[in-house]
Amino acid sequence: MISAIYGLALGVGANRIIKGAKIEHVLGDPKMGSEKDRAYSLNLVRIALKTLEQEVTEPTLYDPYEFLKTEKKEVSDAA
Amino acid sequence: MRLDIGTFPVTEVVFGSETKYNDGLLEINEDELLAPVLSDPRITKAKIEIARPGESVRIWPVRDVIEPRIKVKGPGTVYPGTCDRPVTTVGEGVTHRLSGVCVVEVADIPQHEKGGDFIELYLDMVGPWADITPYSSLVNICVVIEADSDLHIDSKNIAVHQACLAISDSLAATVKEQTPPETETFDLSTDDDSLPGVVFIPCIHSPEHMSGSLNTFCISIYGISRLMSPWILHPNEVLDGAISCPYRTAFATSWAMVNNPILLELYRRHGTDFNLKTCIALKTEWTTQQQKDLMGQQTAKMAKMFGADGAIVTWDAGGNEFMEVIRTIQHCEKNDIKTVFLTSEDLSSEGVSTMLEPVEEADAMISTGFFLGDALGLGQIPAVDRVIGSPEFIIGALRDGVIPTQGELPPPRRHDDHYGFTNLMCEET
Repeated sequence: MISAIYGLALGVGANRIIKGAKIEHVLGDPKMGSEKDRAYSLNLVRIALKTLEQEVTEPTLYDPYEFLKTEKKEVSDAA
Repeated sequence: MRLDIGTFPVTEVVFGSETKYNDGLLEINEDELLAPVLSDPRITKAKIEIARPGESVRIWPVRDVIEPRIKVKGPGTVYPGTCDRPVTTVGEGVTHRLSGVCVVEVADIPQHEKGGDFIELYLDMVGPWADITPYSSLVNICVVIEADSDLHIDSKNIAVHQACLAISDSLAATVKEQTPPETETFDLSTDDDSLPGVVFIPCIHSPEHMSGSLNTFCISIYGISRLMSPWILHPNEVLDGAISCPYRTAFATSWAMVNNPILLELYRRHGTDFNLKTCIALKTEWTTQQQKDLMGQQTAKMAKMFGADGAIVTWDAGGNEFMEVIRTIQHCEKNDIKTVFLTSEDLSSEGVSTMLEPVEEADAMISTGFFLGDALGLGQIPAVDRVIGSPEFIIGALRDGVIPTQGELPPPRRHDDHYGFTNLMCEET
């Protein structure tokens, strides 16, 4: 679940929750212009799909920024 | 800060040759009252109609309900800040009020035109809906008013509200020089150290997020409607109308704010059962989780700094705003402040909670009924003999249907009496 109000998502017990941007624009930021806005959205959706590969046992919150850092680290560790 | 509020009960309102108050009878000279309003180029039409308790009358569309009040001694103006009124700090000296009567602002002007917030409120003087609104027991002095359609929405809002406040001011001015039959003193200067401290936390909607504007007319504090950090208000400021103007329900009105039964009850028990420490008004409808968390934490911190052992939290809107409201309760409880929440409930099915996000810290709540009017069990609201305002009532989720206002109507869309004006009771099943 991608949510700007992730506290609510955690409260109701969603499995995997990705921090969205704002209530008005959960998946982007119109101030960035359409191209960057789309890249921002795609990134969140990609992270959301990636988290489906992870086992979770309780409502788990993913910060997109932290997720990318971990992902990069895994890639470099593997290399 | 001491405030004496002198009450002049009104039992009858009649049209007459001059505007005056005498022993319960309020006489109104309509032309005189409307002259300054109609000389305002922003106003195209205005008239006054009276609806009395028990009459088969419906008023639609209702934007605000205002109690006529006036400062007699002490600084400032009642309902400060809004519509360019002075922002001088209020709450001190003497204020006179007309009780049993209200000015009803009848106009179909939404707070903004970005969608979502419409004027949806109608008031009845008799019938099942009238039974659960406080206004049906008052003489309603209805100002049916229109602004120039070419104006910007913000200008329309200010023009009609300013006009209604001017009429309210003129009515209250009739008792400025008179001696009130009843006076109540509001003074928190002495505490009893052996008693616990209590704060009142009213959560007030901000239209900033919905309208995308910092200056949208709506329920506001000293005229400021935008999202900002919580306001520390002396309870006397609230009694002088520091929180005023309407939102979209029957219970977020200027009248309701100065007659807030929770605040009045807290005041009357000050020094006997507890010490009323302050009022912390939290602006709501923030747009990120972080902001919502911050508001909850800061409000709780302020309550603690004021020596709160207990708090009462109320709110005036549904959904989004709930997040910072429930977090405020959560953080108060984490700070050892016992907190009671007054709220309406959502409909529930299959055992799901009737509130958006139940948190375990929120363990003391008082239900004031259902939020959606449909759920109140009032059924269709019966037809009336007379309509004040528009003969056409707007229906439908897309607001694309029109039915006669005078006929049978669906129940009001929202009923969020979060202050406990009504006597609805829960039934254990």
